[in-house]
Amino acid sequence: MTSAQLDKMRLELRRGVLVLAVLASLRQRHYGYSLRRQLQDTGIDIDEGTLYPLVRRLADQGLLDSEWQQGEGRERRYYKLSELGAELLAQLTGEWTTLNNALGPLLQPEQTIQTEQAEENR
Amino acid sequence: MELVKRYIAAVQRELPEPKRQEIGRELQANIMDQLDALAEQQGGELAEQQLADVLKAMGHPTQVARQFCPIEPLIPAHLMPLYKHTLFMVLGVFLVLQVVFMTKAWLMGADFGLFRFVMGLASGFIEDAVFGFTAITVGFAVAFKGKQARVCSTDKQWQPQDLPPVAAGWQHISLSDIFTDLASYVFLLLVIWFPLWQQHFAEASADSSVFSSHSLQLLMWFSPVIVLGVLSSLWQLQRRIWNRQLLTLNVLVNLAFTLMFITLAFNEPLLQLDLDTWSRHFDPSSLQLSVKIFLLAMALIPGYEVVRDVLRLQRFRKS
Repeated sequence: MTSAQLDKMRLELRRGVLVLAVLASLRQRHYGYSLRRQLQDTGIDIDEGTLYPLVRRLADQGLLDSEWQQGEGRERRYYKLSELGAELLAQLTGEWTTLNNALGPLLQPEQTIQTEQAEENR
Repeated sequence: MELVKRYIAAVQRELPEPKRQEIGRELQANIMDQLDALAEQQGGELAEQQLADVLKAMGHPTQVARQFCPIEPLIPAHLMPLYKHTLFMVLGVFLVLQVVFMTKAWLMGADFGLFRFVMGLASGFIEDAVFGFTAITVGFAVAFKGKQARVCSTDKQWQPQDLPPVAAGWQHISLSDIFTDLASYVFLLLVIWFPLWQQHFAEASADSSVFSSHSLQLLMWFSPVIVLGVLSSLWQLQRRIWNRQLLTLNVLVNLAFTLMFITLAFNEPLLQLDLDTWSRHFDPSSLQLSVKIFLLAMALIPGYEVVRDVLRLQRFRKS
């Protein structure tokens, strides 16, 4: 597989997951940079050119509430999950859990091979 | 901070006017937060190069602006097949019409050679094609602006049982077949009604039509059948699968076309010829005979479709 193919697939895989990560992070109030730091601290690295437009799109869709406030001598736009966003997050979390549980065994090649061998021996 | 201002201004230039202020304000706040955090981490002011590195990592202003406001294509992707077929149909009709009008002008005595004929044909077609392309593109863009790909009522009601069996591939109606029919109908309507429209609105002479008066009269009476053909094609476009009703309508339309071609062929003379000028190029009686043969050959096409669709209807009855 070429590096371009890998990049494309990685991008596709991350796209939906990032929305979930952003929505989950915004259960607490954050401004742009603090949100990025929080995601980075949890191991999700996302560049600013992707994160800030994504947050705005989610806000435009009514999934986030936002307000401008003064903080540390500078105005910042704070975002928080809206009621609609919270509902959607709950549904997406259920979806993610189901997928993750189903994918877990599939992504463990050794276990899969052992199961196949056990079935063949019967 | 001059670099940051320049960067934000560059991003704003790529954004639509109503969003510039708001996005610029937010982007600036985010960049300043990031720079502050970096300066704090370093324990002093940032050098110009470090600032430039942060901005470079953000991405090119155009790319960042596109992330905030993605470009909406003029023609939505799900409409591209329809758009392309409409375009080809209209351009095809314009080309044939241009050939007809140029040939008529040449035969009516206009004094030009083959090179000027081709040049006139090309320039006339390009002029019409530019108009057609613009009109269709603007029409699609305006009609479907901001509309998402939605499932139409026919698609909602579909049932897997309605799909034709694998062996009955003929039941699928291809887009190119529908648009070929539509192009033929539109061409006929234009050829019949355009000279009349010219006479009425542009006060052109009464002999501007290529058809003789009684042929033209016959074609005018036949126009409702052509309109029915257009409606039948639009119905096919909506359904895309032959059913009994569609086949029956198609049989009726094609039968009417077969009869019209045969009637026209035996209703001489079909064309209105200026014998003095036309005789310089062709023998008028040979030309009328050629047209008669051409019309009889043309009658074979809808005639074949009548036979084909009657057989298909019989297959429906048996199944």
